[in-house]
Amino acid sequence: MAEIMIPIGPQHPALKEPVNFKVFAEGEIITRLELDLSYNHRGIEKAAESRDFTRVVPLLERICGICSHSHTTNFVKGVEEAMGVTPPPRAQYIRTLIAELERLHSHMLWLGVGGHEIGFNTLLMWTWRDREDIQDTLEEMTGNRVNYGTNKVGGVRRDLTQDQIDRAHKRFDTLEERFQGYAEMATQNPTIRERFQGVGKLTREQALALGTVGPTARASGVDSDIRRDDPYCAYPDVKFQVVTEESGDVFGRTLVRVREMMESLKICRQLLADLPEGPIAAKAPRTAPKADVISRYEAPRGELVHTILTDGSDHVARLDIRTPTLANWTSVAASLPGAHLADIPVVVAAIDPCLSCTSRVTVVDIHGRKPASYSWDELRAWGIDRHAGRRRRS
Amino acid sequence: MDLSNRLANWARLKSPWITMFNSGACNACDIEVIDAVTPRFDVERFGILSKGSPRHADILIVTGPVTLKQASRLRRVYEQIPEPKYVIAMGACGAQGGVFKGLYHVVGGVDKVIPVDAYVAGCPPRPDEIIDGVVACLGIMKEDLAHGGKEWRRKAPALIPLAPARRRGVAP
Amino acid sequence: MSLALGIPASTVSSALRPFGPVESARATRHHVLVDPKDLREALGAARRELKLDHFVQLATIDVGDAFELRYILTGSHRALVSVRTRLPRAAPHVASVHDLLPPAGLYERQVHDLFGVVFDGHPGLSRLVLAEDWPEGVHPLRKDFLVEAAARPGAKGGT
Repeated sequence: MAEIMIPIGPQHPALKEPVNFKVFAEGEIITRLELDLSYNHRGIEKAAESRDFTRVVPLLERICGICSHSHTTNFVKGVEEAMGVTPPPRAQYIRTLIAELERLHSHMLWLGVGGHEIGFNTLLMWTWRDREDIQDTLEEMTGNRVNYGTNKVGGVRRDLTQDQIDRAHKRFDTLEERFQGYAEMATQNPTIRERFQGVGKLTREQALALGTVGPTARASGVDSDIRRDDPYCAYPDVKFQVVTEESGDVFGRTLVRVREMMESLKICRQLLADLPEGPIAAKAPRTAPKADVISRYEAPRGELVHTILTDGSDHVARLDIRTPTLANWTSVAASLPGAHLADIPVVVAAIDPCLSCTSRVTVVDIHGRKPASYSWDELRAWGIDRHAGRRRRS
Repeated sequence: MDLSNRLANWARLKSPWITMFNSGACNACDIEVIDAVTPRFDVERFGILSKGSPRHADILIVTGPVTLKQASRLRRVYEQIPEPKYVIAMGACGAQGGVFKGLYHVVGGVDKVIPVDAYVAGCPPRPDEIIDGVVACLGIMKEDLAHGGKEWRRKAPALIPLAPARRRGVAP
Repeated sequence: MSLALGIPASTVSSALRPFGPVESARATRHHVLVDPKDLREALGAARRELKLDHFVQLATIDVGDAFELRYILTGSHRALVSVRTRLPRAAPHVASVHDLLPPAGLYERQVHDLFGVVFDGHPGLSRLVLAEDWPEGVHPLRKDFLVEAAARPGAKGGT
């Protein structure tokens, strides 16, 4: 059967942003993928060239509402490097704490989404309920559940109170128990094992060659984590493991994220226990001297990079952003060929895209029969039914 | 009003079906809307269900500042929804583009593309504020039903422009 | 755990000096400026001899008379090595490296959209981030593409 093209398009009441990609298939097996990312393009890098540093921070925070602290931290620490400004230790600890809280909420969100993609909606409800504990902690500490506005050039805007710290510790205790439950579920639940094992496989060589980052890369045995490899903020002061797996499939990516959640809790506890006294911001000048900075950060989805050029003024001459999701799309394109159409939601979700893929999938039959049309929900349901059919027959 | 219409109206108010459209949002609003259906906020107790297809929707929630790419698609989705339909523009972006107002790939506000019935402020609005907005929208729907439709709210000929996204920086 | 960080400047220099001037700010930051026609060879040499196995970013800057492309790579030694080249504004062409560094396939499409750089040999330099009806030949990240000043008070010059 010859290749047919299946556009997977936007306009879906999905969980995240719209992306369009065309899937080329022979029958029900995918042969290749083409990507179009314009649905979400807004023009942020250009805007950064004409807004001063203070105004750029809330703009970058809204590149993505899930990993907003990643973008602002990466930016302000790059500008601080250009200015030769060092935030005080307490500020570094607070920045790191918020960063790990963000990783926690993001991974929990992902776990729920992953469950949803295979029809395991209980997992969605549990993880998102527990995630509210993180949202509450963030709201108490920063003033907002999402888009926290904590960062400024020189430090952070809000200090922590002892009350907030005590409450956070209590929540961490509860969450630690819950995470044990998720770990068991992830490793032992038969639906998760069947739908995730062997799917979306990437070898270590492929992961490296394709520029893959984050949990997706680490699940393929790539031992890389910017928090350890190019350390920033308070990471030099804390002990944590870089989590890797060898299977390179969606199951491996699930395990990596669950274990990273445990590590994040460990880091948060250390930060709160050792929180230094002192001011929460250093005085920063209004302008930055001419400089050329590469700032990197381990966002929940992987390595985030900003190339920042400053020119003596109060705004950047250039801000070039490479998000982890852009780095990982190529690995999706590589791991899908050979897979079944119904596995698309699982494989795409497994890179935890800061983009969503949505509704209409039109199967264009080159032999001229009436085109079939699948929504993302139908693709997902197809996957769930296929799995149920296999289990019945086995 | 005949019986079948009265039944339909009652069903619509008791159990409004919502569909969402992401016009290029950062995701914060989308997640807070979804959060509204999870146990903490539990919007199902109001009988609100999130449905996929625009063809079954009563309310369209739009997130995002409307990127150039999404403008015509938003319009098409709006047109697919049968009357009576209601639109809620979410957050600062939905209202006038939020932090993205003026950027080269952004229209800047849902009401530049389709008519909007309610705006929920925030960046992002909290789930409880979102539910509040949806309930306010239900209030508007109820009032409209009592008046036999939306027409009574129109004071002047309605202008529903499909805003041609202005190409900035390009000589006309 | 302490791991050896960076590559000595002399190592970078002997690998890349044949292609252009090498600058090393510190053991973890090096860059070389090469001629566009030598880009593929320089990238090949850099990867082989400096053990660079991760492609970090393809950064692009409008420097006025030219577009500067920076191919930033790293390896387990954690040094960042930036292989840079400059393309004349009037004719910004350079060989595609999608086959040497696979993620470049996507990154080059984005640079093409936003700056108008043409990557010769790219299998499909189609739109990635701009809408299909965005006018041809208008590249928004070029410095001469001016966005109207926002209505907000205090915004400088553009948005």
